[in-house]
Amino acid sequence: MKYYIGIDIGSVSTNVIAMNEDYVVCFNDYIRANGQPLESVKKGMGLLKEKLECKDSDILGIGTTGSGRELAGVLVGADVVKNEITAHATATLHYHPDARTIFEIGGQDSKIIILQDGMVTDFAMNTVCAAGTGSFLDHQAERLGIPIEEFGKMALSAEQDVRIAGRCTVFAESDMIAKQQYGFSKAEIIKGLCTALVRNYINNLGRAKKLEPPFIFQGGVAANEGIRAAFEAEVNHEVIIPKYFNVMGAIGCAILAKEYIEREGVKPAFKGFDQLELEFTPTSFECNDCPNMCEVIKVVSDGKTLAVWGDKCGKYAGTSRK
Amino acid sequence: MKVSFPYMGCVTGYKKLMEKLGHEVIMPQKPTQKTMELGVKYSPEFICFPFKVMMGTYIECAEAGAELIVSSGGCGPCRAGMYPDVHQKVLQELGYDTKVVVFDSMFADFGAFMEKVKQIKNGVPLYKIPALASYIYNMIKKMDKLEKRLKIMRAYEINQGDYTRAWNKLVKRFEKCETTKEVNRTYKDALRIFDEIPRREVAEKDKIRMGIVGEIYVIMESSVNKNVEEILNNLGVEVENVQYISDWVEHNIVPQWLPFPKSHRVLKLSDKVAPINCGGHDKENMGWVYDFKKRGFDGVVHLMPFACLPELVNLGKFPAISAELDMPILSLSLDEQMGEAHVKTRLEAFTDLARSKHYARQKKNISRHAGVSEKAREVKDKVKDLSAGAPGSPEYQTK
Repeated sequence: MKYYIGIDIGSVSTNVIAMNEDYVVCFNDYIRANGQPLESVKKGMGLLKEKLECKDSDILGIGTTGSGRELAGVLVGADVVKNEITAHATATLHYHPDARTIFEIGGQDSKIIILQDGMVTDFAMNTVCAAGTGSFLDHQAERLGIPIEEFGKMALSAEQDVRIAGRCTVFAESDMIAKQQYGFSKAEIIKGLCTALVRNYINNLGRAKKLEPPFIFQGGVAANEGIRAAFEAEVNHEVIIPKYFNVMGAIGCAILAKEYIEREGVKPAFKGFDQLELEFTPTSFECNDCPNMCEVIKVVSDGKTLAVWGDKCGKYAGTSRK
Repeated sequence: MKVSFPYMGCVTGYKKLMEKLGHEVIMPQKPTQKTMELGVKYSPEFICFPFKVMMGTYIECAEAGAELIVSSGGCGPCRAGMYPDVHQKVLQELGYDTKVVVFDSMFADFGAFMEKVKQIKNGVPLYKIPALASYIYNMIKKMDKLEKRLKIMRAYEINQGDYTRAWNKLVKRFEKCETTKEVNRTYKDALRIFDEIPRREVAEKDKIRMGIVGEIYVIMESSVNKNVEEILNNLGVEVENVQYISDWVEHNIVPQWLPFPKSHRVLKLSDKVAPINCGGHDKENMGWVYDFKKRGFDGVVHLMPFACLPELVNLGKFPAISAELDMPILSLSLDEQMGEAHVKTRLEAFTDLARSKHYARQKKNISRHAGVSEKAREVKDKVKDLSAGAPGSPEYQTK
């Protein structure tokens, strides 16, 4: 069996998927990175190898996406390094070719993607505010002492509405505490929180955009039924959650890798599973040649410099070529 | 006198002008992280980003001993109009004797304009000024022409960084040119150098073009806009910026009723949606958006400092304009907090969007022609050939 691999290195999770030549996802893993993206990529790839029992030659191509895409691209030897928006849209269009609006909420960013005729026509990413993202929910779940997995179910069990200010995480939190003191139940407060998050998301990202069905909701937060219900109430329409909602970015870049390899007819750049056993040490130093004082990040493995980035002037850029 | 000026795009012209007038030039540094930190520290909190960066540059220049800082004015109702006075006040409060002289439009107050000319012309007799002006004008014009070429050709370079390196060397050569003849010779050399750099061949139908509009300082100074132009070029996109020093000079010196330079005509293109100017270059920028559409560009990147009033006016209009013209517009608002990764991700996604739109439009255009043509069948076969690779899989794609 031959596979294409997609890796999505987000702020909270690292997702690894493998699909065969017929776009069937044979392996998917959602790993909480805990701030160790490189370790989790290694772990994910190790699991993949074990489960699919594949050799280096079975890997036809790799795509990486997410905020850690460049580093992971160097680590595994990626054919395609793509931004999250294109990756997510590609995956969604594969499963729902008629999709018009994608809501994607991840750990630290959220995006809205508007599609028409199978093409991205507009997009927006949150810029300055974390109030519409998964990290916020994570934090609040922890504060209330509820496992994040049960968060959504609890929201659905609420009997009445509580309005929570959602403009800013700080305000939301103080508002939640105030409502708690009034004696509202946890479930009601959680429901209010879900509504506030969705309201904030739509206000921030959906501004001046025409949102049309079918709506697709993906990203890690899509596991939360409370948020889904809040979205449905907000747009007054059914919101579809794809089967692989939490690894859509990874699927998207695997599809892009497949398209790229097939179009260009090039050999895959995969470095092999053995390479992953090696020690990778990202080091950074402050370049003091000009007052910019860029933090230059260097990835070294086995005494060889694999990649350098972060310099504004491009002085080190030459050394980062593969 | 020791003279300096703000750093904005290519400043060789300013430098030569001041040198020719017999001043000692304190060369401002390209804004760095430190410049911005300095500027942010000593500027009013809610002032626009360009003010802060310029403030940082001024402090650095004053520190290096500049006695006079020369700049051109905002001369409009936007906050740029009060830059010089506030800059002056801050410098004073910090204990520098540096003077800030700002040239506003000579049509607004010719007397005041001439007063300032006298102040900086350093005793150079008036009859020598036209020759000097023509030398400087020729230089900035030639350099701007080259820079425009650079931003088109760099999109196709094979070894990333070749063009930027060549351009940096050329700027140094221009700085050494003392006569018009030398400038012209360097210009010719530069054209040759540009042509010799290896590029990949890209068919006309695969070329993606984008325009850059926005507030003048942030679109001209690459260190402030996180190098948007080079990022786009590296993604294989041709870039056209709407502001260059020479264009700005022409726009402000040639009377408005004359049909040239082009910016006068462009200004009229936006009459319908922007009947009046709100201060900065908002009306002109809106006109450029229409102009880009007319010339078949694939997208527009709109850069503005966070909370810039004239560009906020445009920002509010863009969704409707974008729908009317069927042209994607990406707005980025910039300030000192802006991370580079954030700009890159958006530009990458925007380029993918523009590219897929480009191919979809091509497909549509060809099939429309196929419908009306007498040789429908023949053309249709061609359509198949042309659209075989489009739209999902363009022939080349940036990784």
